[in-house]
Amino acid sequence: MREIVQKYLSKDISRRGFLNNMTSVGVTASAAELVLSSLNNAAYAQTPPSAGASTASSTGAVKQFTGTGGACFAEQLMACGVKYVFGNSASEDAQFYEALVDRPQLKYILTTHEGPGAAMASGYIKASQEPAIVMQAGSVGLMNAMGQIYNAFKEQTPLVVYSYRTEKSRMSGRDNFEEIPNQDQVVQPLTKYSWMARGASMIPETVRHAFKTAWTPPHGPAYLNWNSDYTDERTRTEIIQQSHFDTRMRVRPNPTEVERAAKMLLDAKMPILIVGDEIYKAKAVAKAVRLAELLGMPVTQMRQMWVNFPEAHPLWVGNAPSGTLASITWPKNYDVVINIGNKMQHNGVNPIVARGVKFIDMRIDYNNMGKVMSTDVPLVADVGLGLDDLLAALEPLVNERIKLIAAERAAEVRKYTERSRAIRAGVINNPEWNNSPMIADRVTWEVAQFADPDAIIVHEAGSVAMHSFGFNPVGGRELFFYYGGHLGSGVGTAAGVKLARPNQQVICLVGDGSFLFGPHALWNMARLELPVITIVYNNHAYGGPHSRTIANAPSGRMVETGQYVGSYLGNPDMNMASIATGFGVRAEVVQNPMQFKAALARAKASSVEGRPYLIDVQVARRGIGWNDTPWIPPIKGSAMRTKKV
Amino acid sequence: MTSFSTCLSGFSGKLLLTLACLAASSLVCAQDTAPKVATPPANPARDLVVGKCLQCHSDNIWRDQRQDARAWEATLYRMLGRGAVWTGEEIKTMANYLATDFGPNSPKVASAIR
Repeated sequence: MREIVQKYLSKDISRRGFLNNMTSVGVTASAAELVLSSLNNAAYAQTPPSAGASTASSTGAVKQFTGTGGACFAEQLMACGVKYVFGNSASEDAQFYEALVDRPQLKYILTTHEGPGAAMASGYIKASQEPAIVMQAGSVGLMNAMGQIYNAFKEQTPLVVYSYRTEKSRMSGRDNFEEIPNQDQVVQPLTKYSWMARGASMIPETVRHAFKTAWTPPHGPAYLNWNSDYTDERTRTEIIQQSHFDTRMRVRPNPTEVERAAKMLLDAKMPILIVGDEIYKAKAVAKAVRLAELLGMPVTQMRQMWVNFPEAHPLWVGNAPSGTLASITWPKNYDVVINIGNKMQHNGVNPIVARGVKFIDMRIDYNNMGKVMSTDVPLVADVGLGLDDLLAALEPLVNERIKLIAAERAAEVRKYTERSRAIRAGVINNPEWNNSPMIADRVTWEVAQFADPDAIIVHEAGSVAMHSFGFNPVGGRELFFYYGGHLGSGVGTAAGVKLARPNQQVICLVGDGSFLFGPHALWNMARLELPVITIVYNNHAYGGPHSRTIANAPSGRMVETGQYVGSYLGNPDMNMASIATGFGVRAEVVQNPMQFKAALARAKASSVEGRPYLIDVQVARRGIGWNDTPWIPPIKGSAMRTKKV
Repeated sequence: MTSFSTCLSGFSGKLLLTLACLAASSLVCAQDTAPKVATPPANPARDLVVGKCLQCHSDNIWRDQRQDARAWEATLYRMLGRGAVWTGEEIKTMANYLATDFGPNSPKVASAIR
């Protein structure tokens, strides 16, 4: 079976050949399809862009090309499988724009700000798992895009970023217009690879290296640049298809460690599974479910971008509320913890898994393994392959006694999950449920009632809790959470997600503070007819930072005086619907639950027509120190005037 | 379960005083010369708050809040969406306790930073 997989990944056999070979060795057709789907994902971004290249010989995969540096750039992007270029107007890329005119298969999406433009590219990559590039005008554009490069770095998104060096190659070092020293080094801590091509003929090779590095797991952003005269210069160089430079890194775990992990799990009284984003990327959710069911093991998740396990599954005990395993309500008696693909972000002093508990860690993100956690069994692997191997090691060992233990444990877990779900549904018993302005939980609940069964929720709504959706990464609702935390990504991400998944409802949930960092992609939604429904939780405040500020200085002078300099966004109140209208998006402001329901219906009708819609929901401020007229600093320009001009 | 020492380090105000009294009372046995400190009466509602809330955070985030039982109830219901598994009855009990010690007329905690 492994040989068949290897042949498929090496493109020695076709999809049909793979299925035929698998069934000939006794694998059912449905099981073969399942394996194939995981392999297709594992190979994402490696599918050559043209049909001819799929059977490419070495000679067919490499072609000599003569043209401007800009044309070489375009040719290599197409060979990398890029369909979309996200960019902001850049005069020194003129020869690249020239090349696009006769290459309509490479589509350029003009964005109005480099930050949201990069967020849109990231959203597209995350939702399609296909390569894209985002480009900016020189160092000045790069500065705007860096926030989203940071997000891609934290989220491990293979975002490839390019910006030229405005200064000509033979004139650098003179403090030219837009010139900064060592431009590629500015982003070095945030990228897996940052490099400058040292000549026009080196442009394709630099592009290839950037894509190869970004898309080799663990994924992450890459940055490339070159002096602008190289884009204009004519050269002769090689263009190479993605399939002929990609490393096809598919890491299987150490077999000895797999055996140890299997034994540890079977000996455990209460094993618990932590899931993470690598499972979503590898499309290995079904395998994670199989592992949990085999052992009757409860499942939880630490902070991540996606929901990586069906929330309605009886073994799902919910997210860890405060980011450590100790914060989950149940179970408390776990003795073996296995992490599959979670980044295990530590935000406090205590390790996520307390010392003394046996810990198995499976992920490809080797750099973050063993950093804080004491790890008994490390399993460096593509989690899809790692789960295959672990299941293969476990299944022969699951005898009748183990089955009975697992069944009893599963029943115990189910008892808890049924009770906890019933209790959490009580969120609607909040005495402020029908208030106007609405409480945030009511807004979320209404959206959850409204959303399609396979809707994608893009969440950049501050500290708003995502309850009531019942996310399910296998054909159900999906969540795209703003894990990185550089704000202004939500609207752009949603636009990119909709571009990648045009047949799924996309709802963008965003706080007013987050929204104001990056509403620009609303214009792209209108222009490209991407019917995203954007909901702004507008409490006219930075609510999350407000609460955390007080927590960091409790009982202090701010609390005593009510002077919170960094919290209140009202007086005057901002109207997000007006902003949206300015970008060409239909929008309205709502005050109460009845109005909100009616607005959601209008939003749905609009999206059926292919038009985006925005609802500015007036949300109550809750927490310490809020009143009807929050304090604002006594700074008035009018009082400083001596002349009324 | 949160340890007593964790509670002590995280709490302040009236609740901290109560917990400090509990701690001090244990010293009475060891030191005859120490001043006598009355053991505070058992308070299951307070214990419920300690057990539930400190599962995720210290009291820093809410100890300066002063509000009535209904508003406390709303605060606690918001935690259900964040993963808390608290029954309506438990929420009512905690809200009533908080409205007593952290109600609209409860004294503010003195400013610690000048």
